Amino acid sequence: MSAADNLTLGEALRRLPQAAPPGDEWTLLRERLRPASARPSALRRYALPAALAAALAGAFVILRPAPAPAPATVAHVEASSSTNGTATAQIHNAQNAANHDERLAQLQQHSQALERWLRETGRDASPLQGQDLAAAAEIENLIGLVDVELAAPRQTRAPALWQRRVGLLEDLAALRYSSYRLAAGSQLTASTRID
Amino acid sequence: MVSTSAFQIDLPQALIERVRRGDAIAFEQVYRCFERPLYTLALRMLGDAEAARDTLHDAMLKAYQRANQFRGDAPFWAWLRQIALNEALMRLRVGERFMVSMESAGLDADAFADDAPAPWAHADSAALEHALAQLPAITRSVLWLYHVEGYTHPEIAAAMRKTTSFSKSQLARGIARLRAILDPETPEPEAEVESCPLPTT
Repeated sequence: MSAADNLTLGEALRRLPQAAPPGDEWTLLRERLRPASARPSALRRYALPAALAAALAGAFVILRPAPAPAPATVAHVEASSSTNGTATAQIHNAQNAANHDERLAQLQQHSQALERWLRETGRDASPLQGQDLAAAAEIENLIGLVDVELAAPRQTRAPALWQRRVGLLEDLAALRYSSYRLAAGSQLTASTRID
Repeated sequence: MVSTSAFQIDLPQALIERVRRGDAIAFEQVYRCFERPLYTLALRMLGDAEAARDTLHDAMLKAYQRANQFRGDAPFWAWLRQIALNEALMRLRVGERFMVSMESAGLDADAFADDAPAPWAHADSAALEHALAQLPAITRSVLWLYHVEGYTHPEIAAAMRKTTSFSKSQLARGIARLRAILDPETPEPEAEVESCPLPTT
């Protein structure tokens, strides 16, 4: 059996030449580029902030999120007394580590709770339409980007990323909650209608 | 699995910082680096040059607009590839290209393994490209994401909002079909085909 016989499918596919777009796409793309700060984000464009805020409040009632943790304190070392200072710094570091772990655990639990709620309500909610659908797709894409960063080994414990993930899930929950509530309302109407 | 995706290009940190600040000249360098990997990924998934070109434009535009959100925790190429994947999947959904084979219970990537040399081992590029083009878009996408880009089944399932077993069965189906197309002597498992659009939310 030759070496070629052992070529895996992955190797064979990777040997295919890369494709190139037909023209000078950069010139066309450059016309579309604007400073990021000059463009409203898709969320701002689509998310209907007032409705989101109201729906988010409702979602919070259902989700019963964990109480907000105390902000992590910044360790500081008291340099004036070497013995006491070292001991104090060790205590502060230990407290910070505990706070960090606690906060991280809360964020991860909250993230799981939101995902579970989204999964469960998704079965009963009305399909999203129009701008809500576009906003939901955008939020899901942003969650995917956060997950890419969370997948980097050294960052799996980064509270800031988990905080961002939770924030996006809350936005998605708010959108879904409106849909869920509408679906529940229509079922109620149908079941109580008197012909 | 080991991935040697063409996306795996490490950029200088200084260049990424400039892109994050909205520097269009710096972004042109990023574009030049990733134009082909991104276009190739889109073309393999969508099977349509025009749709791949649109995906290239929209993904690059989003990368530029969102660059200030990139924290640098993961490699830039992985972040950009996720944007490209999202754009391509969005087009697959919109274009109703999700005509997929039904899942087969117990079907996995080893189901069709045998000791004979795989037909792709001796197929030339044109034959392999031709065979790939005959696969349903979703099957081809799973095949490409798994074998070339190095995504795991759970990652593919999450991106497509499907189950892990869906990803595995699509991969097995794709491999079986490639074998059958490249080596007509190989019996192909029967596949029922149904329209199976992804849930949009």
